[in-house]
Amino acid sequence: MGYVLDVSGVHRIYESAAGYTHALRGVSLTVSRGEFLCVMGPSGSGKSTLMNILGCLDRPTSGTYRLEGIDVSELDDDELAELRALRLGFVFQSFNLLPRATVMRNVQLPLIYSNVAPSERVERALRALRSVSLPAEYYDHRSNELSGGQMQRVAIARALVNDPALILADEPTGNLDSATSEMVLKTFGRLRDEGKTIVLITHDPEVSQWADRTVHIRDGKLLTDEEERELVQSMSAARPGLGAGRGHT
Amino acid sequence: MRVRDLMQETWSALDANRGRSALTVLGIVIGISAVIAMTSLIGGINKALVGELGLSQAQLVYINLFVDRDLTYDDVDKMARDLTDYQMMVASSYGSAEVSTGKKKGSGNLTGVKPAYFTATGAKFVDGRAFTEGEEHSGAMAIILDKEGVRTLFGDADAKVVGQTVRVGNDECTIVGVVEGSGGSYMSGEDTVNAYMPFSTMATRVVGNRSVSQIMGFAQEGSNMEQVVDRTKDYLALTYNIPESEREDSIYVYSMQSMIDSVNATMGAFSLLMTAVAGISLLVGGIGIMNMMLTNVTERIREIGLRKALGARRSDITRQFMLESICLCLSGGLIGVALGYGASFGLTGLVAAAFMGEGSSMQVTPLIDVGTVLFATIICIVTGVVFGWYPARRAAKLDPVESLHYQ
Repeated sequence: MGYVLDVSGVHRIYESAAGYTHALRGVSLTVSRGEFLCVMGPSGSGKSTLMNILGCLDRPTSGTYRLEGIDVSELDDDELAELRALRLGFVFQSFNLLPRATVMRNVQLPLIYSNVAPSERVERALRALRSVSLPAEYYDHRSNELSGGQMQRVAIARALVNDPALILADEPTGNLDSATSEMVLKTFGRLRDEGKTIVLITHDPEVSQWADRTVHIRDGKLLTDEEERELVQSMSAARPGLGAGRGHT
Repeated sequence: MRVRDLMQETWSALDANRGRSALTVLGIVIGISAVIAMTSLIGGINKALVGELGLSQAQLVYINLFVDRDLTYDDVDKMARDLTDYQMMVASSYGSAEVSTGKKKGSGNLTGVKPAYFTATGAKFVDGRAFTEGEEHSGAMAIILDKEGVRTLFGDADAKVVGQTVRVGNDECTIVGVVEGSGGSYMSGEDTVNAYMPFSTMATRVVGNRSVSQIMGFAQEGSNMEQVVDRTKDYLALTYNIPESEREDSIYVYSMQSMIDSVNATMGAFSLLMTAVAGISLLVGGIGIMNMMLTNVTERIREIGLRKALGARRSDITRQFMLESICLCLSGGLIGVALGYGASFGLTGLVAAAFMGEGSSMQVTPLIDVGTVLFATIICIVTGVVFGWYPARRAAKLDPVESLHYQ
């Protein structure tokens, strides 16, 4: 089976006035077509950096990233923008909809940037909105008139509208209550069943239950489930001692 | 990104900040309205000055000659034959007499003219007709009033008076026509009646001789008016044996072109001043627009990041912000054009009085010129491009990752 994404030995180092920050340390990862992968990690582990690189919003300092066989690091800014418009779908924690625009306009946005004809845009936007089960009466509403769950469904429809090779979701349930979260995750599950490739980034273990496979990221390195378990156990073992020490101080 | 989508996104962004956008374009509105008001008024004055008569005023030469004897129409005809610079020459005699209707009366400023005078000067008849050759030949008791004269004598400037009679001195005269205005060459006052009579009638009934007071020559198309004036002076000096030392006092020949040139020079200086004011206003307006666009960019950093994440290229972002800036300037410019023309129509009376003198009946209509509107439009677009470029490039260069996480 061909990989939709193939990341090999990726490093990302940020340079700032405070010095260098090594956000990713030799990350290698492959995701097959139709797979639902969950990337878990605590805050500051490098998962957002990984998401930015997978989403072609950022470039690795070293290593290679191939999306559907294309070496992304070779592309210039405009080519990356074209790739994002045509082959990637984003779902963000804070929905990131244009508040003044209608639901239909928001969903059409990636198609606008890929010069799709207006009639075809409408057709594809309607199809995407139906697939996330948003009632038709909301299609002409402004996005700021919707509830959180409805907004996230619009965001998912927007991610689907260009029939992307990969849907990237960054903490998509982070701002939702548990009932709405479940509804959104069910939508992702259904999309996976329809053959969509999904990479979901979260720190919530419950969310990872919905994925086919989970990888963990810590200090910029990817760990398997087993390595993660061992690490957590060793940290748990160390923590009481540390805690007792502090208590006696 | 398609142009239609670009327009839609631009409209949506400007609509969201309606109040701020309106305030920002004020500078542009003031600048453009000043330019439009000035150019349309100057154009209107020039048109009034140059285009009021049937033959162009620029070709008109006034000739006054002071010699031992009175000049007659025979002298005028001879001049017309000898001076080939002119396509036509007409003359008039002046006199005054009381004009009355029985109920009302006025002080009549009478001008004796031949029928060709009306064709040459392009007098506008609101009723009736010019004199006929027959009336001139027979010295008919015919009179042509101007509208103000009709008002003085009949109480209503629009009264139908053709065919009625008025008394001029002791004679009954039939009104054969009414003209729009008297071209500014007449006196004006409460009870003044400006009127024309056939030249021969004036000679026998009012003036008492066939002398002419003023000669008007209409130069050939495309003549160099300065040379025409010089040649006319030389001709008059030679024909009437006027020595060099007396030329200055005896021969007055001046063309309307010199008056137009002098008005143009005054207007030119005035318009230069206004252009400077407008330029400063546009500069300040443009800086205001740049400031607003920079604020817009800062407020919409997350939106820019999102658009980039969804596939917007740098050029898409640049074009969107540039178009917003251009639309702001253009809308300010269009409002300025409308206000400028409105103001110029409102100020015509004031300007006509200032440039043509109090009591002048010359009508100044502001000139609406497509070229000026086009020029203002181009200036607005250029202002939008110049002052929108930096904010637009700044928006386009934003890093999508940092923009998406901007708080």
